[in-house]
Amino acid sequence: MAWFSRLFAKNKARQEVVLSSEQRQLIKAWHDLPAADLDCSHRRTRYVVVDIEASGLDTNKDHLISIGALALVDGMIDFKDAFQVVLRQDQVSSNENILIHGIGGLTQSAGMDPVEALLAFLRYIGKSPLVAYHAFFDQSMIEQAMGDYLGMEFGRTWIDLAWVLPGLFDFQTGARVELDDWLELFGIDNFLRHNAVSDAYATARLLQVVIAAAIHQGADSPGSFLKMEKARRRLYDSL
Amino acid sequence: MNNSATELLVSATIEFLQSYPPFDRMEPDALQFLGENVRLAYYPQGALIVSPETGVVRIFRILQRGKVLVRRAGEGSGNEQSALTLGPGEGFSIGSVAAQRSSTSIYTALEDVFCYELTAETFFLLMHKSSVLNLFCTQYLASLLSQSRQQLQQQFSQHVAEQQTMNSPLSSIIHKDPVSVSPDTPIKVAIELMANRNIGSMIIVDAEQQPVGIFTHSDVLKRVVLPGIPLDNPIQSVMTHYPRSLPFAANAYDAALAMAKHGVRHVLAVDEGGCLKGVVSERDLFTLQRVGLRQIRQTIDSATSIEMLLLASKDVRQLSLNMLAQGVGAEQITQFISALNDTLTRRIIEINLDKHDLYGIEWTWLSFGSEGRDEQTFSTDQDNGIVYICTDIMDREQTQLRLLEFARDVNADLDQCGFPSCTGNIMASNPNLCLTLEEWDEKFAQWVSAPEPQALLNSTIFFDFRPLYGKFNLASRMRLSLLRLTRNNPLFLRMLAGNALCVLPPLGMIRDFVTDADPEHPGTIDLKKYGARLFIDAARVFAMGYDVSATNTVQRIKQSAPLMNISPDEAAAVVDAFNFVQLLRLRHQHAEQTQGRSGDNLVRPDDLNEVDRRILKEAFRQARKLQQRLKLDYKL
Repeated sequence: MAWFSRLFAKNKARQEVVLSSEQRQLIKAWHDLPAADLDCSHRRTRYVVVDIEASGLDTNKDHLISIGALALVDGMIDFKDAFQVVLRQDQVSSNENILIHGIGGLTQSAGMDPVEALLAFLRYIGKSPLVAYHAFFDQSMIEQAMGDYLGMEFGRTWIDLAWVLPGLFDFQTGARVELDDWLELFGIDNFLRHNAVSDAYATARLLQVVIAAAIHQGADSPGSFLKMEKARRRLYDSL
Repeated sequence: MNNSATELLVSATIEFLQSYPPFDRMEPDALQFLGENVRLAYYPQGALIVSPETGVVRIFRILQRGKVLVRRAGEGSGNEQSALTLGPGEGFSIGSVAAQRSSTSIYTALEDVFCYELTAETFFLLMHKSSVLNLFCTQYLASLLSQSRQQLQQQFSQHVAEQQTMNSPLSSIIHKDPVSVSPDTPIKVAIELMANRNIGSMIIVDAEQQPVGIFTHSDVLKRVVLPGIPLDNPIQSVMTHYPRSLPFAANAYDAALAMAKHGVRHVLAVDEGGCLKGVVSERDLFTLQRVGLRQIRQTIDSATSIEMLLLASKDVRQLSLNMLAQGVGAEQITQFISALNDTLTRRIIEINLDKHDLYGIEWTWLSFGSEGRDEQTFSTDQDNGIVYICTDIMDREQTQLRLLEFARDVNADLDQCGFPSCTGNIMASNPNLCLTLEEWDEKFAQWVSAPEPQALLNSTIFFDFRPLYGKFNLASRMRLSLLRLTRNNPLFLRMLAGNALCVLPPLGMIRDFVTDADPEHPGTIDLKKYGARLFIDAARVFAMGYDVSATNTVQRIKQSAPLMNISPDEAAAVVDAFNFVQLLRLRHQHAEQTQGRSGDNLVRPDDLNEVDRRILKEAFRQARKLQQRLKLDYKL
């Protein structure tokens, strides 16, 4: 597991994290939250769909710029239960990178203090199951930032729609299917591509489709998604 | 909540909604509120979204993506003509959410569907915020109302078509085998049998199964209990001999006619050999709604006594109630009631003419007020009078006396047949209302030239006169001279207009309605005084100002509108509004009467559903428009 070793490698080089007692308390409070019941039905689960923007695609070198997230409660998306934050950057990302996500240099340096931003994110997600498409990237970036700024092990299990979807829909299996392909298949528009919130919104609608299909196939809980993902990975590895 | 994320999602939602009516015209504040309060839901292809079984619809939905199929409940999926497809930007189901009832249609996802969902509470808040949405929904509901009324009328015409099968043979009406006993059966046994079988009549047959008598429920009291007949006497001592019978092949119409003609409630059906096959009761005919307008008219026309007319007047009421239940519009029902009441009154007049010698007098029976306008509701008292010609060779006092005696009998008979005597004594038997043509003209001229409050009040009753029986040309002459009087008297019309403006539509500044006009009945609106009359009074002024001789409010509006440069659409809206108020009155009176009350006009807006409340509000707005027109025309 490459990212583990990287994490340890980073740990050594990590600067000492200095947090106020209030901030430490917030982290502890989050840790103390009871874990989400993964066997509870979809309808009664609060899913949080996450999308991030980073300075690049290299999980080793690049860093987190923005997080967008939306909750899916009772199978429905409530716009009031949405989250967005831009982390203040000491070093503005490259021009090419800015052109992708559209978060300009000024916005980047005027962002929220990373510690506060990540604490707000923790408060928003609670212990809800996290969902993303190609979750590995989002997961790595957020875990890295959590370690760097909050000095904590984030250690959440993520549901990766990229692995769940092929188990439910017979569509271009084998090849690396991108999020956009699925969105096109289900006719989900993305009003602002590469904006963390807009991408998360599109992914959340994809999750609505996935949940409806999963219920149809008898997979009625977040835990069943994890099982499907595991089975899929095993199948993929054995190929 | 994180504002920037919500703001972004809300603005994307608003942008979407703005491409569709009525959101494209919606106020920015309201649109923002809508965007903030919707939630996005997903329904896979084939999923059921709303149906009558899902109960009261508490969510208003706007399609974001995909198509939704709408079918009327109870129709198979094969019936595609009535099906409707909704696409992005379309909302559903306004009617059910607004009326807080369950849907009459079935909504299913024709494709994968995303839709914005708004709770009913938020929907109502939004209606308050947005006059655009408010108007949209009101218009939508109004169109819905006329649609549903059309449907109901179609259904009703089907019923009427079914009623044409008055030719259907008695064999198809009779469902139960007859219960019969022999002539020497003790009364006690016969009555016990009737009670046990829950039947209204017992047929007495001889050994050959030939009916020889009938004994009914009402006979128990009159022939057994009151005279104190011992219960072990044979039934033949108290039965009606020779009951009316018809061949089994006779039809329902024959049965109805036989009942009306002989004033009986039961007719026996017998086979060729004269053996009893069954009993047809009056109730069989009416509960099956097999008696329509034509049949009742025939019953009335063939009636020879007040007792028979009394039965017919009950049928009139029953049939109009059925029509109401079947969703027939107020205009048709009120005209229907008026038409049958006219027939009834004419028959009463005819019956009384046999007893009174009016030979040589030219006279006309007039009706005033609501009857004169063809707008009678279920609760109607008498408003009538007589106009006659007194030639030089006739003694005026003698002539009037003869007419008055005749009128007294007619008034009394009308009272018996369900038209209570007028408390204000507006009746033909009142010497002040049994007048010669010249006297009426003079009376009218007095009111027009000196329009004091009482004269104005009289005008609102008597100027809506209509001839009912006799020489109709007398009434035409009255109308002509009245129009001549008013046409040349702008002052009178102005006073009449002012009088019409005394009562304002009960629209509240803050609340929807003003419901405290009557301190004795708080929370209610008198839909006669503060509803129908607003339209009636305005239409009267229009008609008189523009030489329209019609007395019916709808006709007055329709005929004077083109002369006043009111567009047909505007006139139709006023007519709809008036008819709706009348419909609410009829419904209310019906409900009151089924609970045994006299049937007032005090409607409680809080008891109306949201749809009716909104339409009523719109109706009052139309009344206000009429009043504004009066103010403008007469500079009041």
